[in-house]
Amino acid sequence: MKKPKIICVTGGKGGTGKTMVAVNLAIMFKNRGLKVLLIDGDVENPNTYLLLNSKLENKTEVHYFLPKIVEDKCNKCGLCAENCATHALLHIKDSIPIPISTVCSGCKLCYKICPTNAIEADLKVIGWIYTSSAFNIDLLVGELKPSEARSAIIVKALMEKLDKITITEDNKYNVVILDTAPGTHCDVEELISQADLVITVTEPTRFGKLDLIRIIELINLLKKEYKAIVNRSSLLGYKDKFLLDLEENSIDILGDIPLDEDIVRSYCQGIPLMENSRKSDKNGAGYESFNQIFENLMEWGDL
Amino acid sequence: MIKIAIPTYGSGGLNEVMNRRFGRCDTFTFVTIENNHISEVKSVENHARGESGGVGIQATQIVGNHKANEVIVDFLGPNAADSLNALKIKIYHTPSVELTVKELIDLRLSEKLQLMTSGNVGAHQGMKQGKESRR
Repeated sequence: MKKPKIICVTGGKGGTGKTMVAVNLAIMFKNRGLKVLLIDGDVENPNTYLLLNSKLENKTEVHYFLPKIVEDKCNKCGLCAENCATHALLHIKDSIPIPISTVCSGCKLCYKICPTNAIEADLKVIGWIYTSSAFNIDLLVGELKPSEARSAIIVKALMEKLDKITITEDNKYNVVILDTAPGTHCDVEELISQADLVITVTEPTRFGKLDLIRIIELINLLKKEYKAIVNRSSLLGYKDKFLLDLEENSIDILGDIPLDEDIVRSYCQGIPLMENSRKSDKNGAGYESFNQIFENLMEWGDL
Repeated sequence: MIKIAIPTYGSGGLNEVMNRRFGRCDTFTFVTIENNHISEVKSVENHARGESGGVGIQATQIVGNHKANEVIVDFLGPNAADSLNALKIKIYHTPSVELTVKELIDLRLSEKLQLMTSGNVGAHQGMKQGKESRR
């Protein structure tokens, strides 16, 4: 059994072009005849499917656990409340504990340790997972239900689904690309921790640099290999200084993508820049930069 | 008989000033009222105050375990409010920040305190005032 190569596209700052890079890398792998799964782990704003002009299909629910106390079985011992890390169970001596659902993390500890099995799972829908495909790329998308906060549960569900696919369907994919949310929180951490290679997409601004350094701290904690892509590199003529800056900080660069009208056009059309069927200028600055990045990636990742 | 819990500073007591924070107060001063007179005063340390989260729920647990049926508070977070409501503990709001336990009890007995049913600050607001001087 050969496991697929997992590439995580992240970057710290929002709006640097993570999704654009993830989608176009997926397209380029597909162009080489590889079987690609693209996973959208930006569950609060999943929009890979928009760039691929696709639809969210095959909706399945993702549930999370809340404790429900069966009063007849409860011996009022308070063990659940004593051990709840988030104090989501209110227990007054000699009475039945009261769940405070807003602070429950869904860890199920209470359910597991209750000596009289008085705690049942009260399953609530926290979001959804969709599957679809576009341009011969399979897409797996997670979406958090608006008003819910525990997005990491959806990301975990996506990774469980990936595990299932790699175990049950041998060689279904050669490459898996994970597109993360901005930031350095649990959702991003979960995806980076699954990856063989991490690509951090940044932009030549102070914000871009600051957030890049933050995400690199996280990547180092997780002991993963990474390289950076500088998007909008021609912005304000700041490119050389920024690239030098990264070099001085010993941050390896996979490549840079200049501002290019053709990229904007591909966005509007809903056809990725690197998609072969798209009529585009094959000598355009964006097109060439992506080819260079892909070559560097193949070499780096031994793909 | 009513038993009122008031968040207090230091070791609490009738002459201590009310602590503006419910979940993160130093002590709860419990005052028992019988026939419109104070029959017992007892202070209990709030062991939950230093924790990173869930203090409103734990503080309510202390209040509930000492069988208080009323509290007088200033700032109250959403989890504390939910917890107090779940235990059907009446919540009164102080009209001023500088009052002592004794003064608050007098106001309560002359029915000059307003009832409240939900929190009046967001979650974790009590943490921000952690270093605020007491007066």
